[in-house]
Amino acid sequence: MTATEPQVLIVGAGPAGLAAAVTAAHHGAQVLVVDEQARPGGQIWRRPDPGAGGPDPLAGPAYAAGRALLARAAAHPRITFAHDTTAWGVFGTSTTPDGFAAPPGTLVPDGPRVAVHGPDGVHILLPRALLLTAGAYDLPVPVPGWTLPGFFTVGGIQALLKGHRTLAGRRIVLAGAHPLLLIAAAQLVRAGADVAEVAFAQGLPAPTELTRALAALPGNRAKVAEGLAAVRTLRQAGVPIRTHTLVLRAEGDEHVNAAVLARVDRNWRPVPGTERTIACDTVGTGYGFVPSTELARQAGCAATWNGSAGGWVLVHDHAMRTTLPHIWAAGELTGIAGAEHAVAAGKRAALDICRSLGILDTADHDRELPAVERELAATTRMARLLEHTCTPDRAALNALAEDDTLLCRCEEVTYRKIRHTLRDNPGLGTADAVKLLTRAGMGPCQGRMCAPALVELLHQETRIPRETLGPFTARPPIKPLPLAALADAHDATTHTPPAPADTETPR
Amino acid sequence: MTPDPTKPTEVLVVGGGLLGCALAYHLARAGASVQLIEKDQLNRHASGQNAGSLHFQLEYRMIQHGPTVAARAAEALPLHLDAMHSWAGLEDELGESCGVRRSGGLMLAESPEDMALLAHKAHLEHTHGLHVELLDARATHERAPYLSDRVIGAAWCPGEGKANPRLVTHAYARAARRHGARIDTGVRLTALRHDGRQWLAETAGGRRMAARAVVVAAGVWTGEVAAMADIRLPLVPVALTMTVTAAAPPLIPHLVQHAGRRLSLKQTEEGNVLIGGGRAAKFVQHAGALDLDARPELRLDSVFAGADAARVVPAVQRLPVLRIWSGATSLAPDQLPLLGPVPRRPDFFVATGGSGFTLGPTYSRLLAEQVLTGTTGLPLDDYSPARFGALNFV
Ligand SMILES: Cc1cc2nc3c(=O)[nH]c(=O)nc-3n(C[C@H](O)[C@H](O)[C@H](O)COP(=O)(O)OP(=O)(O)OC[C@H]3O[C@@H](n4cnc5c(N)ncnc54)[C@H](O)[C@@H]3O)c2cc1C
Ligand SMILES: Cc1cc2nc3c(=O)[nH]c(=O)nc-3n(C[C@H](O)[C@H](O)[C@H](O)COP(=O)(O)OP(=O)(O)OC[C@H]3O[C@@H](n4cnc5c(N)ncnc54)[C@H](O)[C@@H]3O)c2cc1C
Repeated sequence: MTATEPQVLIVGAGPAGLAAAVTAAHHGAQVLVVDEQARPGGQIWRRPDPGAGGPDPLAGPAYAAGRALLARAAAHPRITFAHDTTAWGVFGTSTTPDGFAAPPGTLVPDGPRVAVHGPDGVHILLPRALLLTAGAYDLPVPVPGWTLPGFFTVGGIQALLKGHRTLAGRRIVLAGAHPLLLIAAAQLVRAGADVAEVAFAQGLPAPTELTRALAALPGNRAKVAEGLAAVRTLRQAGVPIRTHTLVLRAEGDEHVNAAVLARVDRNWRPVPGTERTIACDTVGTGYGFVPSTELARQAGCAATWNGSAGGWVLVHDHAMRTTLPHIWAAGELTGIAGAEHAVAAGKRAALDICRSLGILDTADHDRELPAVERELAATTRMARLLEHTCTPDRAALNALAEDDTLLCRCEEVTYRKIRHTLRDNPGLGTADAVKLLTRAGMGPCQGRMCAPALVELLHQETRIPRETLGPFTARPPIKPLPLAALADAHDATTHTPPAPADTETPR
Repeated sequence: MTPDPTKPTEVLVVGGGLLGCALAYHLARAGASVQLIEKDQLNRHASGQNAGSLHFQLEYRMIQHGPTVAARAAEALPLHLDAMHSWAGLEDELGESCGVRRSGGLMLAESPEDMALLAHKAHLEHTHGLHVELLDARATHERAPYLSDRVIGAAWCPGEGKANPRLVTHAYARAARRHGARIDTGVRLTALRHDGRQWLAETAGGRRMAARAVVVAAGVWTGEVAAMADIRLPLVPVALTMTVTAAAPPLIPHLVQHAGRRLSLKQTEEGNVLIGGGRAAKFVQHAGALDLDARPELRLDSVFAGADAARVVPAVQRLPVLRIWSGATSLAPDQLPLLGPVPRRPDFFVATGGSGFTLGPTYSRLLAEQVLTGTTGLPLDDYSPARFGALNFV
């Protein structure tokens, strides 16, 4: 990657990023897409390692649109894809950068700069527009046994299957609250896995919810069809699908060897006497997703708490502009809403970016807009429905952890330790302050695994609103990178003559 | 002991960093009724963000600007010596671990010029009673085999080391509460007035308080808070950069500093390597006015140069960097502490400036003594705000 000044820089090659790239490039923008993965596709359209055998989980009609979008992006002459490249920091958003330390004669332009780390080290990119489409990750839910090998999130199981054509285990229990459990279970069954049970914490949809579901149908038939097909596959394979059921804990010494499930009431509280133990080597939980807002928050974009949309979500306007100039966001990090919505939002952002860069005049922009707005509206209806029926009950999940359950597995901090810290230090009132005292969230995962659980525990213990407790402050690098890469960047920026600034992205 | 809400507050402490909490502890322990207010959370700012170095040698920033500046900065060495003793007894005094490790500190030289600076520095320190040993290349590498071959010598100070900034402030706060101090967070002082008999304070939440004495330990905001008492203190806000790596097996038992570059490097008890040394971040400003509440923006050149300076410990280069952050503190123009009563403002005290983590236990003990008795065992005259009295203390 040599271009340092792409017109449009997109972080994340999932549905939102790809749709935005294709739309922006179609209207004439030069686009650079960076993704930390080896291949574009994001979570839902994750592509297998070259040479991995077995059936393709993305065969079939539900993924036709995705396959087409991937192909268009790959073929477009104005789209460059930088793979294995992580955007780890955005700088120059709260003050204007200076050239004090640059070699004499170097021009240091204004505007945000994006630090990326890829196969050939650290680069600083100076895009005219930055679109963040970093997606989401699974909501981790600590329960006794969750740190045993064999305990996964359903997304992790799916990533193994899609990316490496590998089954996470032989006999798998899936549990949670999100319909992705059904999709993943069906993919596993088709790949030959023994799925022991799929358990949902909530009940069957009530009649009013079914009415809402019908209203959300227009524009979302493919999605609904995929869900129904998954249920059919599971029925045929004899996989039980239970409602009002939670995984209370996993058991095993070195590895998961059983899951303990129980019936729960309408508030997701276990009903005494209903515990069952299922022998299995793998548990996958799927309670929903957490938007990957770290890079955006590190840049200084405002985020707000929306528990039913995944937690902290980015504040944005109708055109997907964040609260910072030059920075847009689309897809899951503006609130969990699924791949179809991500595609629509990506297009919406791309139109606004092209208009604001002067690539698209107002008349053309206005002509393109209605179709995209319709797509957004239809996919938003579906997203709201999912939110309504699948929002995890955070208080109930918090109650599943026991005092000696690890909350932060990186730093081995237990629920007990957090409770004692709160007791001994009156006035503690932010996730950051608790992190600093206990080290919860200070490990290599940078708090991704424990932040939601910590905020919920603090909320339950102190009754301080989650908004006030806050997310952990996001600092660069938002994903770890070796110190040597930073030291080498010092050599590159102080000893070599400055490269002439490219205005065109070389292909 | 539970605080007696009917007892009028004798001392209002503004700021819940290390200095404020330690002041509250010393004042309450001596029997004063103390109210501390902190606008955010305790330990949220410099005291929880710093490098945790216990450096008793003169620092890079003190020796880099010629012998006159260095000689002036050396006037704080009596405090350094006091601090060395304070830290040695601190964990016993507070009854809990604060991560204090005093396994010695090295200030490295990579060039003959660095060596010359170290020699001059050692001489200065010697005249003030601090004994620092100059090591040649062999002795340096024997003591610290983890260092790069580029290091040609070092100054060795056996009493140096580290403490854990995550823990110390809270340990003081808990001890202060045990002695009856009231500590409130989320309370921001917005106005101060002296009514002829006592200080009247107002907070952002509309709370009003009265106190005989006010002690300002507001870190980088000290100037701002002093201005509420119609005083302008000569303080320079500085914004600094810190980098931390993932945990690694024990490798570096010492505090490592550099004579010729901005660098401090140490390994925490948990194994993380902390890299600091005073590299600049940039304050956010609006039309030239600094916004001290906004997180200072990191400068990439500082980040990269800090990583480059850390090449003196080659093994660290392989470690993943987990976090880079900025923090802010304030320095007096002569690099000495600003510690003591403010002239012409009755019972109004400040504590800031200098290596406020290393010197925090000392500053706070001495200032508490000053507040309660009007005098101190170790004279504070050299550090008193009165030295800038010619400016505006009317
Ligand atoms: C593990 C997992 C599996 C899922 N499986 C399904 C499924 O089967 N069906 C379904 O409908 N939904 C699934 N989802 C929901 C999914 O979030 C959406 O369907 C859809 O993928 C969202 O699109 P997006 O473009 O917003 O984000 P994503 O698809 O998540 O794409 C984001 C991309 O950004 C990249 N990225 C993030 N941060 C950086 C960075 N700092 N630097 C460089 N690259 C970065 C990521 O590598 C990723 O490729 C899954 C979610 C997860 C987390
Ligand atoms: C990055 C960095 C690295 C450092 N490394 C070292 C080191 O290794 N060794 C060393 O000795 N020193 C170091 N220092 C300096 C040291 O951290 C500080 O000198 C010391 O922490 C100062 O403590 P404090 O309590 O005065 O300030 P702070 O910890 O900043 O506390 C001041 C408090 O006052 C509060 N406050 C301000 N205004 C108001 C108001 N109006 N009302 C109520 N509350 C208010 C603030 O919110 C804040 O919590 C470093 C500093 C930084 C920034």
